[in-house]
Amino acid sequence: MAIPTSRIRNFCIVAHIDHGKSTLADRLLELTHTVEARAMRAQYLDRMELERERGITIKAQAVRLLHDGYELNLIDTPGHVDFTYEVSRSLAACEGAILLVDAAQGLEAQTLANYHLARDAGLVIIPVLNKIDLPAAEPARRREELAALVGEPPERVLAVSAKTGEGVEELVRAVIDRIPAPEGHADAPLRALIFDSAFDPYRGVITYLRVREGTLPSYARIRMLATGVASDAEEVGVMAPEATPVEALGPGEVGYLVTGLKDVHLAKVGDTITLDGSTVEPLPGYREPKPMVWCGLFPAEGGDYPALREALDRLRLSDAALVYEPEVSQALGFGFRVGFLGLLHMEIVRERLEREFGLELIATAPNVEFHVERAGRAIVVRNPAEFPPGGDHGRVEEPVVFATIITPSTFLGAVLDLCQERRGELVDMTYLTPERVEVHYVLPLAEIVFDFFDQLKSRTRGYASLDYEPWGYQEADLVRVDVLLHGEPVDAFSSVVHRERAYRYGRQMTERLKELIPRQLFDVAVQAAIGSRIIARETIKAKRKDVLAKCYGGDITRKRKLLETQKRGKERLRRVGKVDVPQEAFIEALRVDRKGRPA
Amino acid sequence: MIAVGLYVHVPFCRTRCGYCDFNAYAGLDDLAPRYVRALAAEASLVAPAWGDARFTTVFVGGGTPTTLPPTSLERLLAELRAILPIDDDAEVTIEANPETVDEGSLGRLRAAGYRRLSLGAQSFDRVVLARLERGHDPDAVGRAVRAARRAGFDNVNLDLIYGVDGEGLASWRETLRATIALGPEHVSAYALTIEPATPLGRQVADGLRPAPDPDVQADMYEQACELLGAAGYRHYEVSNWARPGFECRHNLGYWRRHPYLGLGAGAHSARGPARWWNLRPPRAYLASVEAGSPPVGGAEELTSEQIELEERFLRLRTREGVAPDGLDPAVVDGLVDAGLLERAPAGLIPTERGLLLVNELVLALVPQRPRAPATAG
Ligand SMILES: Nc1nc2c(ncn2[C@@H]2O[C@H](COP(=O)(O)OP(=O)(O)O)[C@@H](O)[C@H]2O)c(=O)[nH]1
Ligand code: SF4
Repeated sequence: MAIPTSRIRNFCIVAHIDHGKSTLADRLLELTHTVEARAMRAQYLDRMELERERGITIKAQAVRLLHDGYELNLIDTPGHVDFTYEVSRSLAACEGAILLVDAAQGLEAQTLANYHLARDAGLVIIPVLNKIDLPAAEPARRREELAALVGEPPERVLAVSAKTGEGVEELVRAVIDRIPAPEGHADAPLRALIFDSAFDPYRGVITYLRVREGTLPSYARIRMLATGVASDAEEVGVMAPEATPVEALGPGEVGYLVTGLKDVHLAKVGDTITLDGSTVEPLPGYREPKPMVWCGLFPAEGGDYPALREALDRLRLSDAALVYEPEVSQALGFGFRVGFLGLLHMEIVRERLEREFGLELIATAPNVEFHVERAGRAIVVRNPAEFPPGGDHGRVEEPVVFATIITPSTFLGAVLDLCQERRGELVDMTYLTPERVEVHYVLPLAEIVFDFFDQLKSRTRGYASLDYEPWGYQEADLVRVDVLLHGEPVDAFSSVVHRERAYRYGRQMTERLKELIPRQLFDVAVQAAIGSRIIARETIKAKRKDVLAKCYGGDITRKRKLLETQKRGKERLRRVGKVDVPQEAFIEALRVDRKGRPA
Repeated sequence: MIAVGLYVHVPFCRTRCGYCDFNAYAGLDDLAPRYVRALAAEASLVAPAWGDARFTTVFVGGGTPTTLPPTSLERLLAELRAILPIDDDAEVTIEANPETVDEGSLGRLRAAGYRRLSLGAQSFDRVVLARLERGHDPDAVGRAVRAARRAGFDNVNLDLIYGVDGEGLASWRETLRATIALGPEHVSAYALTIEPATPLGRQVADGLRPAPDPDVQADMYEQACELLGAAGYRHYEVSNWARPGFECRHNLGYWRRHPYLGLGAGAHSARGPARWWNLRPPRAYLASVEAGSPPVGGAEELTSEQIELEERFLRLRTREGVAPDGLDPAVVDGLVDAGLLERAPAGLIPTERGLLLVNELVLALVPQRPRAPATAG
């Protein structure tokens, strides 16, 4: 090992999307000659999907930069609230973080939340203003805001332009000077932290890790502490930025490990790797991935159920957070109840299922997990259809989150109103500057799942930002609202909502369905009910006319083609009792705001 | 010998109506003499292929056939009779617009062998006629019918259209009363259909005019059923009523899937599993016929499944009944209970309500693939 531990620096960049993280990474690669300027593609780190001869795909989760005899490891962090835990593990692999803020935009909630995570993890923070070349930049004001946040004098805040490269050299200097070198003995028993893992179809599970102490040699027999699984270190290497095998990784070093394991669940983010045979304490902070949001996924074509199962099984190999169990819906047939880390995760999984596996899906509205007391027993409800109907239950608890919202103070009223409407409890409020306020609320997760982010954006003209973290469970007055078609409940439309919102939900659903369900040969009642009490009702009037007025010799071919099309459409209808409901009506009626993502 | 219907298309009109998507043209009258010659020439071209046929009906439609002078129409029928084996007692219909005929011309047509006259009356409401851009006023219809009677026509049809923007139930009722008062043997009443590729269709698409309300049209349909039924007309097809014995045999041929030969621009022909159609633009049609080649513009060969579907939906438009064999009894029961089908000695017959929902009947009675949810595999 050419470089001693004292000359290693492990760091990450905490930034809001579009504040310039990728551009800055490009500059760092350039400056450290890690990538020759000529070979430099814009935003190298983001796009790099290296296909090595052996077919191995390695993400640039961590890239090694060499500068002035120092080894600088830049570790990537996912930038979304769904992945807070993953972020925390990436941070745990670092000693320092660059807090990068767009000098024109200022701090955003996401950055702030990740900043707090970094700080709590004991990282040294280097505050940096970016885009100072922009005319709209307000370096002086932002500098104060940032300095106040990190509690340092304003002159400690660096100013760069990732675009022009201005100030980047000073930044690298600060990384070396301010961030401490890692600690850890080379001859201690091995403890390495997995901060990401991926599945490669050719090589099996590849983990990205940070050696805390000890040494990880190639070809060693290793073991993961949480799962207890042992495996061979088929290859150990670093990203420089291409995957480069090395003989061993020493204390403080960051790299990758090819395990040959066939399932990503065996090498989980946050787990500790040691050498097989040695007994060590696991590194702190490991957590099982916990789904926060659930929804039913059903194949649009009933015959695709086996294909959906196979696709989920395949996805699971590379997505340790994905959980699912079979579910049967009267309306939608056979499918799965699937758990996700959050809305973005849900969106990603759905998109992959549709794109990579060519499946057409019907997804029910997402819901959270409820704790319900019934007949003296506590049950966990992940599917609204399993929630006791008509108030036949004891105490009910729902998950809440601790939400951080940063808004221009002019929109403070609007933000407070929204949170209040969504059953939020104000925790506190801090003026970052006279113009910007940081607000903390405890909010039911269910309210956030439901178009909260869009509302926040639209009521603050896009200026407010949101971040949240799980905050346990809280009692709530919840009821199940059912939707009935022609007297027949449609399980896929059942929803658990706060009692005060039940009426509105019922009215919305019945009105929506009235628009979406085509007229039938008889009047169809569309009702919403709590237990046996009807709270909303619409009627779809019977269809009276469906015929072509004229059908003579020249019309017959056209008419037949029309009927053939109608016939194919009819094959895609689902039957609820006596009522034919087109696929599209389910999809439309169940569509929640698909941009409910706080990033 | 097989019984065949002969359709002859005349694509000329005085003006073009905004709702119409027929193969019809205003301002092409110059082509008329050539066109009539071409019809005979086409008949000669295709006659050998129909050597085993007996033409039991002739229908000269359009367009507006009576934009041609009586001499041309006389010669046309005579020539067709000379070329094709048309039965002596064949039903021979000609379509006419009220403003294009008078007693003199009708007398000549009757004498030439046209036995059935179909008049495009459309409405007796001035406002509705104007909306339809028809060139006649309500009185013209009565005059034309009386002229037809004097000319010897004892089989007259009036075509009506209902559901035009601005036409209320009361107006439609008046049109029905006026129609009945004229005592035609046959009435065709069509719900206005918006065809996308027409000026009206574009206006509706652009939101400049409202699309017909299907419920209002259904009310109008029920009124037609009621008034025409009470006046002794038998409702024998979705849009057709006749005094017993005066059903249009030519059109019944279509709904029974009998073979037919179409002559003229855009005319369709069908025989067994084959259907084909002529070139639509009159000039293209003329060029082809004059060059001595059949003016075919397209063709299709039906699969047995398609034939079955056609048989079903054509049959169900009429009250001739379909055999219940092979139909899902539960579905049939449901449709009977819903009042859309009735059981009769002839088989299953759509009720008047059922006729207005024929598409639904057809789809319900055509075998479906198994429905979702399917079983898990
Ligand atoms: N003017 C200017 N634009 C920048 C600077 N840094 C990044 N950008 C631009 O800001 C946008 C977002 O940058 P990117 O690096 O993709 O942000 P990321 O989402 O944080 O990775 C891109 O259009 C960049 O070109 C800078 O220093 N000055
Ligand atoms: S007269 Fe008849 S065929 Fe001619 S344009 Fe009008 S509706 Fe169409």
